[in-house]
Amino acid sequence: MVIDPYVLTEVLTTLLLMGALIGGILDVIAALGMIRFKDFYLRLHALTVGVIGGSFYPLILLGLYSMIKLPYPSNYYVGGIALTTAFFILITAPAGSHAIARAAHRSKHVPKPAVVDRLREDRESGVMN
Amino acid sequence: MSKEGGGLGRVFVVAGFVFMIYVVFTGALTLVDLIVGFSTAIVVGVLSSDLVVKNSSKAFELRRWVYLLFYTLKYLTVYEFKAHLDVVKRILSPKLPVNPAIVRVPYEVDDEYAVTTIANSITNTPGTVVVDIDVVRKVMYVHWIDAKAVEDFKAREYISEDFEKYATKIFG
Repeated sequence: MVIDPYVLTEVLTTLLLMGALIGGILDVIAALGMIRFKDFYLRLHALTVGVIGGSFYPLILLGLYSMIKLPYPSNYYVGGIALTTAFFILITAPAGSHAIARAAHRSKHVPKPAVVDRLREDRESGVMN
Repeated sequence: MSKEGGGLGRVFVVAGFVFMIYVVFTGALTLVDLIVGFSTAIVVGVLSSDLVVKNSSKAFELRRWVYLLFYTLKYLTVYEFKAHLDVVKRILSPKLPVNPAIVRVPYEVDDEYAVTTIANSITNTPGTVVVDIDVVRKVMYVHWIDAKAVEDFKAREYISEDFEKYATKIFG
């Protein structure tokens, strides 16, 4: 059986678009988590869902989509920008989360509820400055 | 700063990386693009290679690149999928089940790139965020949405043992 390349392309691009749609749904869920969680540190976890599941993966999928579907001069242009942006989101987003969490803890914002807070214990005992 | 790899190797590593990003970003392979990209890459490489690369000989070992590719694929599929599923379940569940804690996670790698890889991998998986790090005592403080263990080494088994294994093979 010979697979028609046209059909194959259509199936592949539809799958890519469906994946990007899942990313949009994850964004909505992340926004929901931002509202439902009542603690700053818990909201950071919802934020990560929005950044990785809601921006990083859709950007990769849309980059591949535009490389396949768009006409020649613009396909690699749009696709390349999407892939580079995804890469930089992946390496810079954790730096932002880390900085904001560290600043919150240094300004004495207590995680609540929390089973243990080793960082506060170590700050109070003077091991960590 | 160690002299292994030499100055030229360091420039080559940084310039190659910058050139690759330039070509992917513009998405074109015309002569003008190649010349502009090449000269920009050389300038950036000469200016910043002393700051960002200490031992360029590691970049020329094929084994590390294979591990990097394998780890990237495994991280982006298996680990991210599991963590997303867990946090999405927690957000959508009516009772909002959380059991958060800030735990100590010790690590054993020396290379700065390896430490950054571990910390970024932890923060990029939903459910764990690195709050602070002490490079002298070699511990990270991680906020964990579901603290299955509060002892240092038990927590490390759950959170970062796999990341650390691959980071050691790639950068260590």
